[in-house]
Amino acid sequence: MSAHSHIEGQLPHEPEKATLEGRNKVLGFWLFLGGETVLFGTLFSAFLALRHQVLDGPPPHELFQLPLVAIATALLLTSSLTSVFAVHALHTNRVKALINWLIITVVLGAAFLALEIYEFYHYVHEGHGFTTSAFSSSFYTLVGFHGAHVAFGIVWISIIIAQLMKKGLNVVTAPKVYVSAMYWHFIDVVWVFIFTVVYLMGKVV
Amino acid sequence: MASNHSATEQSTKRHKVEGTKKHIIAFLFSVLLTFIAFATVISGEINKDFIYIILIGLAILQVFVQMAFWMHMKDRGHMFAIIGILTGVFVVFSCVIMAEYWAWW
Repeated sequence: MSAHSHIEGQLPHEPEKATLEGRNKVLGFWLFLGGETVLFGTLFSAFLALRHQVLDGPPPHELFQLPLVAIATALLLTSSLTSVFAVHALHTNRVKALINWLIITVVLGAAFLALEIYEFYHYVHEGHGFTTSAFSSSFYTLVGFHGAHVAFGIVWISIIIAQLMKKGLNVVTAPKVYVSAMYWHFIDVVWVFIFTVVYLMGKVV
Repeated sequence: MASNHSATEQSTKRHKVEGTKKHIIAFLFSVLLTFIAFATVISGEINKDFIYIILIGLAILQVFVQMAFWMHMKDRGHMFAIIGILTGVFVVFSCVIMAEYWAWW
């Protein structure tokens, strides 16, 4: 379907893939996510290799509190659902609903980030600093990289919301929304492995 | 213009947008898998090696569900997406196996 096959004022179906530029953007983003997978994979493998080297710092099963992790997981998982609702609103051409779902996604992401900042602050006071041990360094690098991705996603999606408010939904803005939702799901997918490998496996003594 | 319009209407029928029901089911399934993972650890009844296999299995299953439904990977025209991600996953497994079983010891 070319960009010109739709009548004036009406979006084509799946507007994110209606132009060659949009299709290329989606494809390029998948390859980027493949690269991101490698980035997180190397951080995970470093963490897996170093997670037992705690030195004098607190071991993971004393440090981690599962209720906090469960709340963080619930926040991020729900935000992934709201971003899928945003893409659904995009496909049904409801700009207002799209903007609202994106705002909810950003708010949930910000709540997750606030919880993570509190968590790190709490750990540092428990004697788990960045340089305490190989375990603590690899922990902060892995979870911190994920948190930085969440922070970047919040800023990015906020800018897209502003652009949607100003320019509305068209074949230029649609791929941006679609690709940012993919990014957000990817963040959630990485978190699934973080709560499994870092927190739950850390709790098993 | 008239033929153009009818073509658009036809494509409307062909590309009927799916509802949100399957996304909610995927969400509930993810919640269930997460709950099982947490419950397995909290109960503390299961043997250590076995619990790792359960946890990793649950995580892989959940990621599969989310990628298929939420990232639309089950839809048509995602061959290069699958190739791109699988290449990444291949490197990840190589790194994890290298770090876990080879480099440190």
